[in-house]
Formats: sequence, C-alpha cells, structure tokens
Amino acid sequence: MTAPLLQAAGVGYSYPGPTPTKALDNLDLDVEEGEFLALLGPVGCGKTTLLRIFAGFLEPTEGTVRCGGEIIQGPGPRLGYVLQEQSIFPWMSVRDNLEFGLVARGVDAAERHEISDELLRLIGLEAFEAAWPKDLSAGMSKMVEVARVLATDPAILLLDEPFGALDAQTRARMQDALTRLWEQRRKTVVFVTHDADEALYVADRIAVLSHRPGRVKTTVAVDLPRPRSFETRFLARFVALKRMLWEGMDSATQGV
Amino acid sequence: MTAVRIRRAAFALILLAALYGVAAWIGQGRLPDRVWMGAHYVENVQLLPTFPSLFEEAGFLLESGILPASAAVSLLRVLAGLLLGSTVGILVGLATGRASRAESLADPWVSALRFTPALALLPLFVAWFGYGEISKVLLIASGVAVVTLLGAHQGVRSVPRVYLEAAASLGARGAFAFRKIVLPLAFPAIFASLRVAIALAWVTIVVAELIDARMPSLGYLLALSGAYPRVPTMLVSIGTVGLLVLVSDLLALLLHARATRWMGRAA
Repeated sequence: MTAPLLQAAGVGYSYPGPTPTKALDNLDLDVEEGEFLALLGPVGCGKTTLLRIFAGFLEPTEGTVRCGGEIIQGPGPRLGYVLQEQSIFPWMSVRDNLEFGLVARGVDAAERHEISDELLRLIGLEAFEAAWPKDLSAGMSKMVEVARVLATDPAILLLDEPFGALDAQTRARMQDALTRLWEQRRKTVVFVTHDADEALYVADRIAVLSHRPGRVKTTVAVDLPRPRSFETRFLARFVALKRMLWEGMDSATQGV
Repeated sequence: MTAVRIRRAAFALILLAALYGVAAWIGQGRLPDRVWMGAHYVENVQLLPTFPSLFEEAGFLLESGILPASAAVSLLRVLAGLLLGSTVGILVGLATGRASRAESLADPWVSALRFTPALALLPLFVAWFGYGEISKVLLIASGVAVVTLLGAHQGVRSVPRVYLEAAASLGARGAFAFRKIVLPLAFPAIFASLRVAIALAWVTIVVAELIDARMPSLGYLLALSGAYPRVPTMLVSIGTVGLLVLVSDLLALLLHARATRWMGRAA
C-alpha cells in the first residue's frame, strides 16, 4: 500500500503568549490520495489550527506533518488552501481571480484562458467571467475561491468551513456544487466543518476532533453511494451515520 | 454619487454668492470708503465690492492676461511640488509600510512629521536655496511628501491578512504579491492622502507667494492688491484659487472613482 498523501504524526500546537493555549495535542491523522476527508468538531477544537498547519501558515510545536513524504515548509500552490474568511480578490474580475495562481507561476495567456474557461464552466459562472466579485453572491464567491485554488492543480485541497456563512438552502446548493466538482476532479480534500450533515454529504471519511486541545477522537467511514444527491440526505444509512457522529461529538464535548 | 455631490456643491456656492451679493448691496454707500493703512489714509476703497464691479475687475484681469499668467505660474509650482512630493512620499511610505513591524502609527517621529506645518520650513529653505522656484517647489513637495508618505504607509499596513494568505497559497510571493495584492489594496488610502495633499499644496503656495511676492503669481496678485488696497482684485484672486482647488479636487475624485470601481457602493 502506498504512503498516505498527507500525514500528521504526533502533532501538537500551542499558541504563544503569556498563557500559552494548547490547541492541538498529539494528533495523528493520515489522508489518502484522492480521499475526501472531513474534519468535524465543535467550535474551538483546533480544526482551523490544524488546517493552517496543513496549509503551511503555522508550524506545529510538536510532531511533524508531511505532504507527499516531505515536511511542509511554508505555504505554496501545492497546498491549495481556501480560507474561512472571504478572500476572493475584489479588485479583480472573476476570470482574473481564477487565473491569479497561473499568472504567479508564469503560465502564458492562452493556457491560462483555457484553464479558466474550464473552471468557469465547472462552477457554472461562464456568464460572470468579467464581473466584479461585489456582484457575486457569497456562495458564488466561495466557489470562485475553490476553483481559483484548483486552477494551480494543487496536490491537496484544504477547505476551511467554506459554506459556514451561508444560509441553509444556499449551503445545500454549494455542497452539491462542490460534490459535483469533486466527483469530476477527484482531488484529495480536507474539509473542515462543525456541521455533521455537511460532513456526511460531502466526505468519504470523517475525522471527529475532540474538544480543545484537539486530537482525533474517532474516524467514521462514510459508505454512502456516489454521486450524492438530495435523496442521499434521507437515506437510512445517512441518518444512522449522523447518529453515530452526534454520539461521537457528544463524548467529545464531555468534561467541559 | 459624484453627481449629487457636484449638485450640492453648486447649490452651496450659489447660496454663498447670493448672500454676498445681498451683503454688498446693503453695504453699498453705507460702508466707509476710507481705510487707514498704518501711515496714511486711502480714499475710494470698496470694502464689499458689488457683483458688477467684481465682474468688471475679473474682465480686466482676464483680458490684460494678468490673471491667466499668474494662475499659470502658481499652477505650475503646485504641479511640480505635487509630482516631486508625492513620488517621494508614496515610494518611501510603501517601503516603510512594507518593512515596518509596528502596527500603529503612534510613533513619535510620525507625530512630529504630521503636525509640523510645512510652512515652518520656509525660512530654512530660503536660507538654503534663496528666494525663487526651488524653495517654493520644495516647500510644497515637503508638505505633500509627509501627507502621502503617511497615506501610503497606512495603506500598506492595513492590507487584510486574508488576501496575503490567499495569494501566498496560490504561489504569489515577494514583489509579485506586492504589486498584485498590496498595491491595489493600498491605493484608496494613498489616493485619499493625495487629495489632502492637493489642498495642502494650494494653501502652501498661496502663503509662500504672499510672503515672497515678487514674480507674478496668484499670491503676488493678492499681496499687491492688499497693498493698495483693491478689494475687487483680492476677491477675484481668492475666487481663482478656490476655483483651481475645486477643479483639482474634482479631477482627483473622478480618477479615484474610476480606479476603485471594484469596490462596493457602500464602501
């Protein structure tokens, strides 16, 4: 069997300061190539901290994180990170946003155009290629951010609660769009969320994090059929898995 | 938005002019026409000239070429000072903004720079460079440089972390990230400071020309008409300065609106 694409071994992280807070403690996690993994946990359990370590913005204070066998050293286009906050560049058109990473890499205009054309089609925003981000809805902006990261063909896609700020309906639509995208591209994804339904709908496997300091409490394989659809949310198996997750999370929050 | 502003400004101007007209009309024949100039009396002075005499004066100053020539001299000085000052100020501000680890602009050197009026440097510049163009342009430039330096510094410092991180994750670093991310985000702050600098440049040049009133210029015209005194000439000169400030600010505003179309209306 091949080594996992992303490998966190004994990872601990303490935020510096007069009273250092331990956000993560002795956390082990493997992410296989092509896998869609959701990191599920209560607010403040260190999910974002872990993702920022994966993205290269934080260095673990203990343990190591390897991507493709190499220890992660700083951010870069190999680690496609979509921040929790809205980070679409508002002074660039949608197409320029999509092509940003390609311009940074020095890809020529024709090839850039080809890639951005395909991504525009994938996220269904062909009509908005020249629009300013202020004319997009929050959900559309987020999809542009995801596609912008895909443009540079990263080894792994790191999504931090991408749909956290959306209303329930838009959220469901965006989960659909992301699932379609993933079913076509089969990228390795780490998806952070605090919403069990969302994790079940999008992921192949769910790692439940314990309350701070975070460590992997349990992992749940999501054996729901793909392609997923509206019906998926009402399958008996979906509900059973959800119950399992809730119970896992409950014990995760005990002792607070 | 801009159209509403222009309409409001025009309304305020017309109101002001109307009020002045009424005051001048009431004052006509009632105000003294003798003014004590410190050593002697000057007769036949119009303290509040009415609109007809103002228009007559403006017509004379325009036709004789005195006003256009004076305005051109002052305008050139302002442009030269603005160009020099803002180039230096913006470049230095970008550099300090990028290098600075301090989050605040509360450093003593910043306060010292910000609250020292550029005009205080006039005697120094005269001592160094003598009376003349160099002193005047440098005087404007130093004031403009301070204002735009602070604007650019602040603009760079206030770039949100999220955009820098998103860019870093997309492989943008160093000069490329600075050009593509930091500059566009710092631009509104830089431009706001430039607008302040334009107004400051006009204030500076008029005062400098008043103090060193030799070569024809708007300040010179003011100083000269003050010496007689000729109030209509003063008012026409002041009005010309006001008009030039207004036009340059409007141009800056239009440029700003054009360069920040990407921003939401609410921003």
